[in-house]
Amino acid sequence: MKTARLSGTWFGKIIVGIVLVFVTLPILWLAYSAFLPPDAVFKTDGIPTGFTLENFAKLPFDTLIRPLILSLIVSSLVVMLQLTVSLPAAYAIRSGAKLLPLYLLLLSIPAELMLIPIYGLLKDLGLLNNPLALVFPFIANPFIVFLLYSGIAKLPWTFIEAARLDGANNLQILLKIVAPLLRPEMTAAAVLGFAAHWNLVLYPKVVLDNPQWWTVQVALTEMLRKDPNAWGKLGAAAMLTSLPILILYIIFESRVTKTLEGGLK
Amino acid sequence: MKLKYVLTPGWWGVVPSLTLLAIFVMYPLWQVLQISSLKWDGVVAGESIGFGNYVRLFSDADLGRSLITTLTLAVFVLPIFVTLSAIIAIELEGTKFERVIKAILFLPGLWTIGASAIGWYTLYAPDYGIIATITNGAVALPWGDQGWAALTLVGAFTIWQNIGYAVLVVSAGLKGIPQETLEAARVDGANENQVRWKIVIPLLRPSLTFLAVIGGLYALQSYTAVYLLTRGGPFGSTRVLGYFLYETAFEKFEFGYGAALSMVALLLAFTFAALQARALRGSEQ
Repeated sequence: MKTARLSGTWFGKIIVGIVLVFVTLPILWLAYSAFLPPDAVFKTDGIPTGFTLENFAKLPFDTLIRPLILSLIVSSLVVMLQLTVSLPAAYAIRSGAKLLPLYLLLLSIPAELMLIPIYGLLKDLGLLNNPLALVFPFIANPFIVFLLYSGIAKLPWTFIEAARLDGANNLQILLKIVAPLLRPEMTAAAVLGFAAHWNLVLYPKVVLDNPQWWTVQVALTEMLRKDPNAWGKLGAAAMLTSLPILILYIIFESRVTKTLEGGLK
Repeated sequence: MKLKYVLTPGWWGVVPSLTLLAIFVMYPLWQVLQISSLKWDGVVAGESIGFGNYVRLFSDADLGRSLITTLTLAVFVLPIFVTLSAIIAIELEGTKFERVIKAILFLPGLWTIGASAIGWYTLYAPDYGIIATITNGAVALPWGDQGWAALTLVGAFTIWQNIGYAVLVVSAGLKGIPQETLEAARVDGANENQVRWKIVIPLLRPSLTFLAVIGGLYALQSYTAVYLLTRGGPFGSTRVLGYFLYETAFEKFEFGYGAALSMVALLLAFTFAALQARALRGSEQ
């Protein structure tokens, strides 16, 4: 299908320009402030200037680097488990298990609603202040199942039926046919799943209050609360902790946006 | 026959996913109901007070205020959110910058959220922010003591985070409009403005309705932004429902009442979900 072409307007261009500035400004400012010398904040006339790497060198290990490493490990682990559990589920639904409405219903449950009962459940299971609390509740994710299902629904199903006739079992079909064909959707799901878990704020704060298990977001929140005017230090911490997201996005951006846009059609 | 119907090929695939969902979503949902009948501080065992927490809902002025705050946020943010994404998607459609601009707009939605909060805080804070500093306080959003300013901040942050996804939604709708429809209108003598307002916008209605509904959900869920930027303040002016719930349970340790508030949130979310389902069904016709 050809795309609808519309002529642009000056008004539209101005709006796009303003929104682009609005969207990029906080990120550009972070990148700039990360290299500002610590005394820049006291200079009250004009834009502060200066360049130093000191902010990065001085980032605390226990209250930032360690949480960063923990988050990297846990969020990556969660994403791998999410894909492992969600792919067979999506395949089963496409094969005829009539569970899509249930998954869609679970999808619409707001996250804040789960805070109290999950807290209670983790308490009963003895998982409070245990990093596994960051893993188990997130493995089964209705959104990822739905995203993968949308991908599988677009595959030519005759392929799979032919493979079944040739005697391939479901595990073989899943691993040798579905998974390779679904790489764009799996990549998009992985990036979105990683970002969603990575960006949890209140949940890790509530279930893991021991500083030993701080996640990267808890660490950043604490740093901002303690030193709200330390631009250089805050900027450096923000840029360092955004690097994993930035790298993932630069590599996989087109797959993420295309999959989302395609899924919305 | 029935058995064959249930056991589709690969049926075992849903077992791990469903088991985990049953433990970590469905069972907790049922638990909320139970907890909502307790007076419980989250530490020692709670005592049953029947419908006490629900009775309290109706006489809680703070809840009323929180609902009004949530609604105000939604009412102010939604029109801006929907209008901006429609303008941007239409403007970008088919241009050479379409892909790169959409990619940039989507980035804040994924960006490390604590880092985003730092960026926003050090940029816009009325006391320590760079903008207030270099303008000597002439240009500053006084969110430290003015409720409207704090709410504006939370709304702006919510738009900042979600505008990229919204543009994708409208874009997908736009690409679904056949070129022939537009050509036919042009052949019939419609000018570009008429094509835009009389053809494109009406055909985008399902996408825009969908956006309005998810925008409402974002407003309901803006509690993370509230926690990061304003902590409900000043004077409770940004205490949206989700944040009110968090505060009740985890700062005031009233888990039973927090669970009753959760039921209110669930009710609102399902109302939105029902609206969404209706909007989507409308778009298929």
